[in-house]
Amino acid sequence: MSSFLSQLHFQLSCALQQRIEICKLRQGEHLILGFSIGGGIDQDPGQNPFSEDKSDKGIYVTRVTPGGPAEVAGLMMGDKVMQVNGWDMTMVTHDQARKRLTKKNEDIVRLLVTRKSLEQAVRHSMM
Amino acid sequence: MFCRTQTTRAAIARGSALEMEIRRGKFRRSVFLDTLQDSDIQKKIDHEIRMRDGACKLLAACSQRDQALEAAKSLLTCNTRIMAYMSELQRMKEAQVMQRVARRSDGTRSSDAGPMDDRLPCKGKVAISDLRIPLMWKDTEYFKNKGELHRCAVFCLLQVGGEIHDTDMVMVDRTLTDICFDNTIVFSEASPGFELRVELYSCCSEEDYSAGSAPRKLASKLSSSLGRSAGKKLRVAMDPGACSPTSNAGAATLLLPGPAVAGPKYHLLAHTSLSLSHVQDSFRTHDLSISGNEECSYWVPLYGSVCCRLAAQPHCMTQQMMSGCLKVKLGGDPPSWTNVYGVLKGTNLFCYHRQEDMEANVEPAFTIAINKETRIRASEKDPHSKAQSICISNQYGGEEVTHTLSADSREETHRWMEAFWQQFCDMSQWKQCCDDLMKIELPSPRKPALVTSKQGSLYHEIVIDTSDDISTVTDILTRRMQELELRSQLGTSPPWMSLFEESPGGPRTPRLARHSPRSPHRLPHSPLSSLRCPWPGLLSSDASLTSDSDSPCSTSPCSRHRGWAEPLSLSSPRFRPRTLSLDAKLSTLRGRGYGGVLQCSCQPPSSSSLAPIPAQCVPQATLSCSSSTSSNSSSEGSHSPSSLDGTPFSRPSSARRSLRNLRAKLDPRNWLQSQV
Repeated sequence: MSSFLSQLHFQLSCALQQRIEICKLRQGEHLILGFSIGGGIDQDPGQNPFSEDKSDKGIYVTRVTPGGPAEVAGLMMGDKVMQVNGWDMTMVTHDQARKRLTKKNEDIVRLLVTRKSLEQAVRHSMM
Repeated sequence: MFCRTQTTRAAIARGSALEMEIRRGKFRRSVFLDTLQDSDIQKKIDHEIRMRDGACKLLAACSQRDQALEAAKSLLTCNTRIMAYMSELQRMKEAQVMQRVARRSDGTRSSDAGPMDDRLPCKGKVAISDLRIPLMWKDTEYFKNKGELHRCAVFCLLQVGGEIHDTDMVMVDRTLTDICFDNTIVFSEASPGFELRVELYSCCSEEDYSAGSAPRKLASKLSSSLGRSAGKKLRVAMDPGACSPTSNAGAATLLLPGPAVAGPKYHLLAHTSLSLSHVQDSFRTHDLSISGNEECSYWVPLYGSVCCRLAAQPHCMTQQMMSGCLKVKLGGDPPSWTNVYGVLKGTNLFCYHRQEDMEANVEPAFTIAINKETRIRASEKDPHSKAQSICISNQYGGEEVTHTLSADSREETHRWMEAFWQQFCDMSQWKQCCDDLMKIELPSPRKPALVTSKQGSLYHEIVIDTSDDISTVTDILTRRMQELELRSQLGTSPPWMSLFEESPGGPRTPRLARHSPRSPHRLPHSPLSSLRCPWPGLLSSDASLTSDSDSPCSTSPCSRHRGWAEPLSLSSPRFRPRTLSLDAKLSTLRGRGYGGVLQCSCQPPSSSSLAPIPAQCVPQATLSCSSSTSSNSSSEGSHSPSSLDGTPFSRPSSARRSLRNLRAKLDPRNWLQSQV
């Protein structure tokens, strides 16, 4: 909890998040979002190609299907997913993250993501 | 002329009459003079022979491999002790004979030449602890070796003079990086010239191959078709004489060819000798001489050194060597004297006001250092007093300080001088041990042997960080618990597990694949644990394998946790065979089916209605995702996306996906990604 709060503090002070709303696409019996995730507290953070801090066990977007709902909504590869519909995604296992994104009773997911390009932009502007 | 302070190890000549008697287990008492020392040793020998008989009977009677190994270890220790006692008896007998001869020829014994001649240094306690022997496995052991884990049982035999101690037995396989013996072994009466012989014995711990039954051709065919380690073992079992000459050569002096007993046999793997020069108050590394080679069944790849802490406490440092009333000159003119009660202990002469102070542990009035730099001399007869006085000079930072002491009578003075001379002799013999008192920690009273702590290895340290998430910890505990359960099923559990088991261990196959279909009565998630067990320590990859099963797990086994919490805390089981063959794993997965762990396609194809999806489907989805062991879900998972092939977002066909999933799951280095 404390680490989440500290991260939150960091975010509030730097305002690096973006809210992305994805409408799930129905394909037969499936609701898809059109992206892939990697990471989780049960995964090896050192293998995350997108994270800057190699001990970061958060959920990252590893692939965005071209033309899919996620791309349309503005999600980009390398984004770190902080929240999904209000559920925290910074301290979850990989499978928990997947489940929170693929709830069958939800048609729309609202993601709170943070993006490296945003961070860099802010950092450059601060310097 | 022999030196009494030297310990010699006598080798009993093979084929000699004495050896034959030892073999037969009978001893001609008339050979040995019945002095008090002899009868002590005789009692010890009798005791060891009884122990040996017991060990032989146990070895013949026991069925479990672990018990047999322990019994064989006791047998070897008893044999070694018997040999040592016999050698000591023989040596004493020789000494007596030679003394008689010398006395007869010389007349009277020559008198002491000087204060240092003929003076024996005091004995001391020697303790060896924290033995650690690093191993050096070749990478071929890990990667190319098919088949079962090559395991050996090892233990150390430590000998100083006639005292022989053995350490506990440790099972060694390629998951260990070091062999660690936690025992602290203390030898109480060791002279400064002691020789501590450390011997490492090992015994192959695989199933017995009945060497006699299989014909040679078949054996060689078998050995070439089996995996590397299994074939090696079989070849060695076929040819029992191959390794023994090399192994027994170095051990001829210690090992007694006792009564032929069937069962596991330990062979000398390495040895070294430590002496006073190796004693230090910290850990040191020493070289090992290794006997045996790679072809022997009992081979364990040693790095070639042993680390340990060898400490010594000479008695002069721990005991009061001399005490009595003294008078100390205080100076002035005419000089005044004060009465003190002096105690010589260690490197100090403590002077108390009264004897009662010393007994009450009150601080001494003052302390005079008696160390290597101290100079003591008896001064000329003082005209004022009748007795000689003793002058003790020390250097305190460039300044020389002299204390003058005087005893009550001449005899007392003489005794004090003797004590000082003895102290100097001891300090010169025990050298670095007399600088400071080394700590020797006595081993704590033995807990009942329910706990075997499996040796950890550097590769398998489990790190639980991000411990804010209680479900992670719960998951790890669940995995551990299931690993324990599975191991008890397989019959390779630690001994204390037998207390919790209803039935004695089943067939002993470390192949987990074969056991998984046979446990329908257990919790639905447990068969998956059979795949998990190989690498519960690798949080990164295998948790994704288990993640489906974990969510129901994390809530349900709380009650079971409490039941198992105690054994979990007692032992830290880190046994895991790292390299189950790929075939075993694939057959496991194919047999049970996989539950579409990673892909969302495991969602049941049941509902075709649009949003809002009725709530009843949600638990079903969860269940099918999580209970990945039932074959229903697997068939669902494989059948569902067959209609999607044409669309741009189509998932690859089920066959390709299943193969990819398998590969993803089986590779422990994967950083998993899920499509949503």
